[in-house]
This record gives sequence, structure tokens and C-alpha cells, in this order.
Amino acid sequence: MDRPTTVRCKDLWFSYPGRSAVLHGISLQVPEGAFWAIFGPSGAGKTTLMKCLAGLLKPQRGRIELLGHAVNGNGLPGWLRLKVGYIPQQLGLVRGLTALENVLLGSLGRNGGWGNLLGAFPKEEVERAREYLALLGIGQKAREKAYRLSGGERQRVAIARTLLQGPRIIFADEFVSDLDLPRAVQILTTLRELGQRQRLTFVMNLHEVEVTHQVADQALVLKDGNLVYQGPARELSTAELLTILQ
Amino acid sequence: MRKELLVLLTLLGLLAVSLAQLGFFDVVRLERGARNLLEFSRGMVPPDLGILPLAGKALMETLQMAFVGTALGFLLALPLGILGTRILFPRVVVVPTRLLVAGIRTIPSLLWAVLLVIVVGLGPLAGTLALAAYTVGYLGKLYAEFFDGVDPEIIEAVRGAGAKRLHLARFVLWPESANSVLSQLLFMLEYNIRVSSILGFVGAGGIGFYMYVYVNSLEYQRLATLLVVIFLLVLGMDLVSAWLRRRYLLGT
Repeated sequence: MDRPTTVRCKDLWFSYPGRSAVLHGISLQVPEGAFWAIFGPSGAGKTTLMKCLAGLLKPQRGRIELLGHAVNGNGLPGWLRLKVGYIPQQLGLVRGLTALENVLLGSLGRNGGWGNLLGAFPKEEVERAREYLALLGIGQKAREKAYRLSGGERQRVAIARTLLQGPRIIFADEFVSDLDLPRAVQILTTLRELGQRQRLTFVMNLHEVEVTHQVADQALVLKDGNLVYQGPARELSTAELLTILQ
Repeated sequence: MRKELLVLLTLLGLLAVSLAQLGFFDVVRLERGARNLLEFSRGMVPPDLGILPLAGKALMETLQMAFVGTALGFLLALPLGILGTRILFPRVVVVPTRLLVAGIRTIPSLLWAVLLVIVVGLGPLAGTLALAAYTVGYLGKLYAEFFDGVDPEIIEAVRGAGAKRLHLARFVLWPESANSVLSQLLFMLEYNIRVSSILGFVGAGGIGFYMYVYVNSLEYQRLATLLVVIFLLVLGMDLVSAWLRRRYLLGT
């Protein structure tokens, strides 16, 4: 079966002003419904690649297409922005809002009216937000303020917010790093099932290979801005990752 | 070492010259001043408590001026602070907004009072508007700074979910900086209560008007009563605001 490509990039080069290149001609083609994990040591360019793909950074050279639409790096057009979810490493949660309120922010693109300025969101959005929190195992924390949540709970709130946005593609940067291994695997499995049902494409940066063995379909390894490995996730062991990175 | 000594000596020299020019070495005058101060203080005791009802009424007016002035100023400062936020608006909006706020802030509240007495006439309305104007200038700048200090990654994440500017202001800027915003509002209220007691000197209403009258008519015992009343007011305000801070603003 041939699935359409949702994320395509070709010969991507990026450097921050006055410094040497962080990305050296990266090319990728991610099919719809894929669940891809990118590994690599800190400073390998994982976050930069993620931000370029999500349209937050403008690469100096190369071409990016999301859902068949060319991205020029000057931000995404409104309709496409809603179709692309991005979970930053620092999560970007509003500390003074509750978990549920933070999740509901994901629905603002659909509900731009005055009503929700007063904090009143449509009932069906509130229900879906609660469902996502429950799906990720933190339904009982809905009324807790974000600053009172643990690191792992915050990460799940950020995931729920992105899911409520209703994207077709999700880019996630080290978004399960504060969860213990079994919990991380459980969350990723949940996301994978959800992704397959909704034909969602996931591209994520991770640092533990074990996390993805059972769940991811492709594993990629970045080293010094070069794509040095791409293959089935179950074939990439920690030992092999270390060999690649040496 | 010798250079530092030179700097120190120069500063001391400047201080001495300034003191002399300001009249601090005029012994005759200082001695006369000390005697006057003693006489003035003696004239203030015992305070004339007969004017307490009048002082109470004037105090209420002062409090109302400060309360309404602060509230009006806050209501204007908040949107101006948002419009002056660089992470939310382009330069064509931010720069004129910040210039406007800076312009308002340049004029001290007493001068605002003088100007507004000319515009709306004598009385507490002029004083209230003067306090509101100063509050806009002060809070408008601070609020823009607070909002600009919000973590851009949070803005980016919520903007990515499709939020418009008004949503970002409501759901990110406000909850992220509410503590500082309210804390400064409280400070502004305290400040306005102190200032509003002087605005009467230029005919802008409040207890200051009576202070001005009693100073000029040499009724120091009555003036003393007003000073005691103001002292109690400031003390009370400090206690109330300390309680409010403890209750609502700490530990969140």
C-alpha cells in the first residue's frame, strides 16, 4: 500500500547567525500515519531539525513540504498551522492555568470568539479535553494548576493540548523525557494507536532507544547535523546506536 | 589608588560647594530655623480635635480619589500595556503606544492636577483624573515590561494552536504575569493615597485643601490633627496591603 507523504524535506541546511552549519543537507520523506523517532547526542541538531520542519525556523537552503504544501520558513499559513502540532522541549504550558485549561488552549484555533475570552469553552471541547487527559492517565489532575504538576504530568498535558488542536502531523521534541520507561512506552503506545486510527503522522526526538523498540516504525540517527542512520526502529539497539555515534 | 583618592576628593569638593550654595553653611539662618521649628512644633500641640468630623470627610474624599483614580488608570494601563508588548505586536503598534505612555509619564501627578484644575475646574474630579493619568503612565510601562518578560516559548506554543492576539493576552500574558500586575496595582494604590493628600494644595480636592488653608492661616493645631489622620491612614493602608499580599500574592 502506498501512503501519501505528509512531511518531505530535501537537502536541508541550517546555521544560526555567525556559526557553522547545524544541519548538513538533511532529506526525509515521512508517510502518513508514520511513527518516527530521531536519536542523537545533544547538539546533533535534533531540535533545530524539528523546528525547521514545523516552520518555526527558516533554513538557509533546502525545501520543506508539509501535507503537499511548500513551507518557506516565514511561519505557516493559518490553515496549515492548525494541521501541524509542535510540542516544544520546554512544553510551553501556562503555569497559572489548570491542566484542563491548558489543554483547552489547543481548541482556540476553532473557537476564536468572545465567549472563551471569559473562560467559557464549548461543552464538547471540554469533554474532548477531558477524554484526552484521561487517555493519557492524568484525568484526575484536570483541575490542578500546571505549576503544581510533576514533569511527567506536564508533558502529558502538553500532548493532550496538541491532540485537541486536531493536527495531521505532530512534531514532538523530547516530550516523554520526564516519564519513567514503562510509562513512556505506555504513552507512546497510546499515541501510536490513536495515530493509526486518525492517520496522524508523528515525528519525535527521543533519547532512549528502548522506549521506541516496540512502538516506533522508523528510527533515525543524527550526528553533527548529518543523518547517519535510518532503518526499522526494532533493529536499532543501544549498542548499535553507540557504535553509530562513535 | 591615587586616581580613586582624586575622584573621592573631587566628589567631596562638589558636595561642599553645593551645600554652601544651598545655604547649609549660613549659621545665622540655621539657628533662626531651629528656633522657628521649635515654635512651630509647640504651636501644633495639642491637636485641635474639633475638626475631626471635617477631617474624616476630607479623608473619605481623598480615599475615593485614590481608589477611583487608580481603578481608571489601571483600566487604561492594561490595554496600553498589551499594545506595548513586543512579542505580540509589530513595531508600528508598539513604538507609538510606548511613546504615548512615556509622554504621559513625563508629567508629574502634581502638574497633571494643575492642568486638570484648569480644564475641569477646582475639586476632586481634577485630582482623580490627575491620579488616573499618572497611573496610566506608570503602570502602562511596567505592564508592557512584565508582558514582554513572558517566556516566548509559551506564546509560540499557544500561537501554534491557532490562538489570536487577544487570546494570547487573555490566556498567556495575563495568567503568567497576574501576580506582578496585581502587586504593582496595590503599590500604585498606596502611592496614590499618599499623593492624593497633597493634590488639594493646587485645588484638586481631598484633605490637602484643608492642609493648605491651615498652613496659610497659621492654624497649626488643626494642621496637626490632619497630619495625625493622614499618618493613621498610611499606616492602615500598609497593614491592609501587607495582609492582601500575604493572602493573595505570595506563594502562588
